[in-house]
Amino acid sequence: MTRVLSPVAGQVVGLAGVPDPVFAQAMVGPGTAVDPERAPGQAIAPVTGTIVKLHPHAFVVVDDEGHGVLVHLGVDTVQLKGEGFELLAAEGDAVEAGQPVVGWNPAAIEAGGRSPVCAVVALDAPADALSDVKESGAVEKGAELYTWR
Amino acid sequence: MSQRNVKIEAKVGLHARPAALFVQIAAKADFDVTVAKPGGEPVNAKSILAVLGLDARHGEEVVIRAEGEGAEELLDKLEALLKQPEPESA
Repeated sequence: MTRVLSPVAGQVVGLAGVPDPVFAQAMVGPGTAVDPERAPGQAIAPVTGTIVKLHPHAFVVVDDEGHGVLVHLGVDTVQLKGEGFELLAAEGDAVEAGQPVVGWNPAAIEAGGRSPVCAVVALDAPADALSDVKESGAVEKGAELYTWR
Repeated sequence: MSQRNVKIEAKVGLHARPAALFVQIAAKADFDVTVAKPGGEPVNAKSILAVLGLDARHGEEVVIRAEGEGAEELLDKLEALLKQPEPESA
């Protein structure tokens, strides 16, 4: 079982709260999303595992059960080509849950006309594999968002 | 074994929406479907984790392979998707 932690502090809005239908319709996978605090911060690894893919605006950590979690920082942020993001780890690194992976400033993303909402997606998971999915309310960085059987 | 080499026209590459649609189409097949970079290790085209990990960019070529009843039709659909600059739906 994998406990998936919030990579950022903020308000949980659920995947339906992501202003991008690819995430909102769970096309990428089930999960939830967090509208982050508008302050410079560091997005952390949601699980302990290996960073198999690291882009400035998104990363995937796979744990020892083979569960891959995608953290996508903001909507359409691929267009920023890394501007405003600082990589704090490297692709292939082993990371502990809670370890900082990407530094960013959600307020700056928003000021640029994009949503900073952060999707946290369970890749290749059937929807019924997730339980205790948090869909609303405040969340601290590192608090549990859902569990993945 | 059916095989296609396809240049990715999707502007964001095989990520986000194109990747999600690609996996949705592949997952409908009851046979194995793989995608690879030319000369690279094929990965499971039905796995979003594997496809995102492949990290195929706009303008790059990928090799898609399938074997089974309806493989050509499936590859037609995948090829058509990869050739759209901004795919809307599968």
